[in-house]
Amino acid sequence: MTGKFAKRALLFIALLLLINVALDQAFKAFSVHNILNRRMDEQFASYNDTLKYLSLGNSHNCINTYILENSFNYGSPSENYIQSYYKLKHILEKTDKKPEYLLLQADISTYGPKIAERYEYNSYWINYINYPELARIKGDREVLTKWLEGKFFSYAGNYKDIQLSIVYRMKIRTLEMHNGYRPHRDYRNFADEPNRKKLAWDKANLFSTRGAYFDPTIKAYFKMMLQLCQDYNVRVYLIRYPVSQEFYAEETKIVPSVLLYSEVEAIASGFSSYQGMLDYHSMFFGHPEYFFDPDHLNVKGSDLFTRQLAIDLKQRQSGSFTEQTGK
Amino acid sequence: MLFNSLEYLIFLPIVVVLYFTISVKWRWLLLLVASYFFYMCWKAEYVVLIAFTTLVDYFVALKIGREPLKKKKKRYLILSLLVNLGMLAGFKYLNFFADSINMLFGEMGAEQPFSLFHILLPVGISFYIFQSLSYTIDVYRGYKKPETHLGKFALYVSFFPQLVAGPIERSTSLLPQIHKPLPFDQERLVSGIKLMLWGFFKKLVIADRLGMFVSYVYENPEQHNGLPVILATMLFAFQLYCDFSGYTDIARGSARLMGYDLMINFNRPLIARSLRDFWNRWHISLTTWFRDYVLYSMPYIREKKIINRKIYRNLIISFLLMGLWHGAAWTFILFGIFHGIMLVVESVTEKPLAPVYDRLGINRFPKVKAGIGIFYTFSLLTLSLFFFRANTLSDACLLLSRAFDFSNTGESLRFMLKNNELTFGILMIIALLVTEQYHAKHNLILKIASKPIFIRWSVYAGFIFFILLFGVLHQQKFIYFQF
Repeated sequence: MTGKFAKRALLFIALLLLINVALDQAFKAFSVHNILNRRMDEQFASYNDTLKYLSLGNSHNCINTYILENSFNYGSPSENYIQSYYKLKHILEKTDKKPEYLLLQADISTYGPKIAERYEYNSYWINYINYPELARIKGDREVLTKWLEGKFFSYAGNYKDIQLSIVYRMKIRTLEMHNGYRPHRDYRNFADEPNRKKLAWDKANLFSTRGAYFDPTIKAYFKMMLQLCQDYNVRVYLIRYPVSQEFYAEETKIVPSVLLYSEVEAIASGFSSYQGMLDYHSMFFGHPEYFFDPDHLNVKGSDLFTRQLAIDLKQRQSGSFTEQTGK
Repeated sequence: MLFNSLEYLIFLPIVVVLYFTISVKWRWLLLLVASYFFYMCWKAEYVVLIAFTTLVDYFVALKIGREPLKKKKKRYLILSLLVNLGMLAGFKYLNFFADSINMLFGEMGAEQPFSLFHILLPVGISFYIFQSLSYTIDVYRGYKKPETHLGKFALYVSFFPQLVAGPIERSTSLLPQIHKPLPFDQERLVSGIKLMLWGFFKKLVIADRLGMFVSYVYENPEQHNGLPVILATMLFAFQLYCDFSGYTDIARGSARLMGYDLMINFNRPLIARSLRDFWNRWHISLTTWFRDYVLYSMPYIREKKIINRKIYRNLIISFLLMGLWHGAAWTFILFGIFHGIMLVVESVTEKPLAPVYDRLGINRFPKVKAGIGIFYTFSLLTLSLFFFRANTLSDACLLLSRAFDFSNTGESLRFMLKNNELTFGILMIIALLVTEQYHAKHNLILKIASKPIFIRWSVYAGFIFFILLFGVLHQQKFIYFQF
């Protein structure tokens, strides 16, 4: 190898590293998801009230924190049990905010392998997730690439996020967020869709897998989360969020929901922290007007659902809850 | 260990650095250890199969070389064929044949005679067995002297860049390179890296992106009809090409870093003007393998008794076997038969069609003629890919029957076009075709290399970050790994 070639090679590598650092830092600073997640972290850090309810989950989690008092909605897009566990662990171990109740999402798609494999926004999750531990539990060393992505290559494969960040750059400054809740899903209505069944089919197949309804890694983290709550004396409610009738019909064609929930119940009931499941999946069957898309409530739907949830939680705690509420 | 994994990006530089650091005398040993390690990362125990194939063919070839009598040579060759093809049949085809017979018995209302085995298909078995077999056949035919160095022969069979998905190298090309390793050459190193980058672009930016849309249709065939089905199959042609040729580029690039030249496996097959032209450009190492070791081994061609009917029969049989090589399923068999038959049709109609072209005046416009040829070839390829991609024969038939029903296709198409992913994928296909065409005419690599360093480095760095930014980085497996 000639000295000139070696020098040039090193110089070129240095140039690549420099560009990489610039792109990585720019992405971390300007990515729309990073901004939103950071703002949620800031709101949580400055939350001074009694924290009675902490809700975790993905975008299905639409608990309106204006309505449910003393609550913080810490759910984030694409979040799975793995991420929820590490976030909860961080809260319980490293902050002085201990919730009385954890409202944990328990939808059909929550437990499937497709959700388990969605490791998005690693530049945010790197603050919480212990990737080596995850790799060990999952038995897959490749998870460590996600650590690498989060640490040094946050932009890699994330061009859609950059596109969104450019489009929503202005909007995001004025976006309303209250204790983690964002009342933003009001610019589309599922009732206006000409072919709701097809949209529901697409969405259901995007998140659920035939023949595999309870991912082993998700199962492991579900148990770990319940154990963590038990250790810290946090009581857990599992919440099934409302979905459209069309979505539920398609989802249950893929996933045997009775089998799934009997497994979920069997696991959860083994922990003293578990308080029960609040099932709202059919709350708005036949009412597409309360949905933004097949599986997300719109602002009005979120309000109605949260009101009912607030009543049910109150009744549960006073011991007068009956199963017909929440329907 | 996939080429698009972090492990490979650590493994390869370590091997390359060690390769040029140690003595030339021991380089074969380093590569052999690295190759076995590479294979064992997938499933350690299956490395025994490669070792077994290696030992059998090494000793069989030595015996063939020493044996003066042709009859006895043939016996050794048959032994090698039986062992190798037996292994292939056992691991790849046994369940398929048992299942097919069971189905037949089931149809007749009889009890199913065979129980199925739960065997994991050894990755790359079709590739390394064919590579090893070509060596014994070449020794038998007298084209190659038997290799006496067991270690170097073992490396020929297991050389990691091309172990799991080819190109299927000939002993006449690879073994001499193993015997005479080249010294470090910075130009080779740089051109190897460039080739690998081009492969990563094809795999990560195009193939894996298109794969999302293809799977969307092919994993749920009962949900789609009309334009989305046709579009998904056309996209699959590009996905398959970018996936496999991307793999080949990374394999060839990896080998080139250490001074090895692997054969070109693809020559812009999607602009082929006839099916014959297509098969001269697609998976060249496999098609030439079948030409040299199957087609030319058949009676009537080998003995120069040219009888068209029998040539055509042999051609169809060769393509049937080539289809079966891809996988133990009726879909692959039909894919092979379809291509065999269409090649015969092409051959039979070639002469009668020539005056028709003349009369229509098409011959006066070579670009129009080329365009018609490309459209015809791509249409036939797309049609055959319905079988190649479908999970089952019934899925293939269902999709074919639904492909031309254009009612209510709007929603599927809307979903496919969401987020501009598909539009971006199609733009990348166009960019790929234009770049390949330009490179074939003007050698793009040389053009860039002749530019000032500032431009050159901007292009290289831009390309690297383009792949990182727009690549689908979920580590999708290479399609040809399953074969």
